[in-house]
Amino acid sequence: MADHSHPHVPSAAAEILGDAPCLSAQDLAQACRMQVSWVTERLSAGLLQGELQAGRWRCSGAALVRARRLAQFETTFDADPELAALTTDLIEEVAQLRQQLRRLQARLGSLN
Amino acid sequence: MEFKDYYKTLGIAREASADDIKKAYRRLARKYHPDVSKEADASARMAEVNEANAVLSDPEKRAAYDALGSGAAHAGGQDFRPPPHWDAGYEFTGTPGGGAGMDEAQFSDFFEQLFGRAAQARHGAGGARGGTSEGGTQRGADHHARIELALRDAYLGGERLLTLRGARLDAQGQLVQQERQVQVKIPKGVREGQLIRLSGQGGPGLGGAPAGDLFLEVEFQPDARWRTQDRDVYLSVPVAPWEAELGGPIEVQTPGGASVEVTVPARFKPGRKLRLKARGIPAATPGDLYLELQVVLPAAHTEAQQQAYRTLAKAFAGFAPRASQGV
Repeated sequence: MADHSHPHVPSAAAEILGDAPCLSAQDLAQACRMQVSWVTERLSAGLLQGELQAGRWRCSGAALVRARRLAQFETTFDADPELAALTTDLIEEVAQLRQQLRRLQARLGSLN
Repeated sequence: MEFKDYYKTLGIAREASADDIKKAYRRLARKYHPDVSKEADASARMAEVNEANAVLSDPEKRAAYDALGSGAAHAGGQDFRPPPHWDAGYEFTGTPGGGAGMDEAQFSDFFEQLFGRAAQARHGAGGARGGTSEGGTQRGADHHARIELALRDAYLGGERLLTLRGARLDAQGQLVQQERQVQVKIPKGVREGQLIRLSGQGGPGLGGAPAGDLFLEVEFQPDARWRTQDRDVYLSVPVAPWEAELGGPIEVQTPGGASVEVTVPARFKPGRKLRLKARGIPAATPGDLYLELQVVLPAAHTEAQQQAYRTLAKAFAGFAPRASQGV
């Protein structure tokens, strides 16, 4: 691939947050600007996905995105956590459907 | 610095009650929510609404803001500078940004100067809640953004030059906005929807605490030729009618740029996919590459080409392409 490097610009190390549980409850709390207890309560209730490893919660990158949505609904609308989770489920579903629609439209466009 | 009329942003009177502010904020938050709004500038409007609410819903910040005067007093596009010690006597005990769930990275210079980290530094960081330690240090806020990548970047890795908006405090404790560039090496194997973390590239920390992180949510550039599902890649491959029906070797270019020779089986079946194992997005367990064959008809431009189609029609005189429609 073409070399787009800029010799005078500092480099930043990029890390993919994949399916592996690489984030702590503290990481999620920091990203959402919420308390750690807020995160652990939602993990315990199954509103967020995570794994308990030696008594500590570990989460994937996808959990961080979901946690930010939950936090936004709860703080903006004073939403009950279950209701915020339901709304987040629906938004995630709509996002998947929109993505499928875009792909189908792109394929249809390529056939015409 | 432009004066921000937060009452105008929320569409409420200066005498609005706390309940009025909450109702106005929720109405606008629903209208401009980035996941559902069809407004072109929904994200920017949502940031304005969040910022206005962060000030007006906090009694201490609202009182200090009201003391600056009305929006009309600062209208006319004049450059706004807060008077010296404008906030003396006010104690901001909330978080420097918009509070829980909010992303202060999107807030304006006006907010940052009055209520953000500059204000927090003037007041002494030790008084704030939300993660400030007793020693007056506070880790910088995490920032979030989206980044659009080509599928090729997922195969080969890539580099992106990001321009980040940041801020630093000058000797007088005033906030100075600055842009900086950072070069990011995108690791190969990244998938759509995943997060990339750039440690230490978020908001600056206070009192020597570390900076926050920058999280980039990955989107792939739309391309009619392919789609991805997890690590698997589906590539649309045009084939000529004779290639589809008679079969034989064809050359295909993978999204990573490699050329591979694939043998198309004879007797085309609509919807047939050819799987190239481990040719999808790279990983310890790489995805597969699926070739979706699409028959493309050549246009008959010359008399000889038109004659070829007539010959074909004679050879397939019994062929009924619309039989499924009863014709």
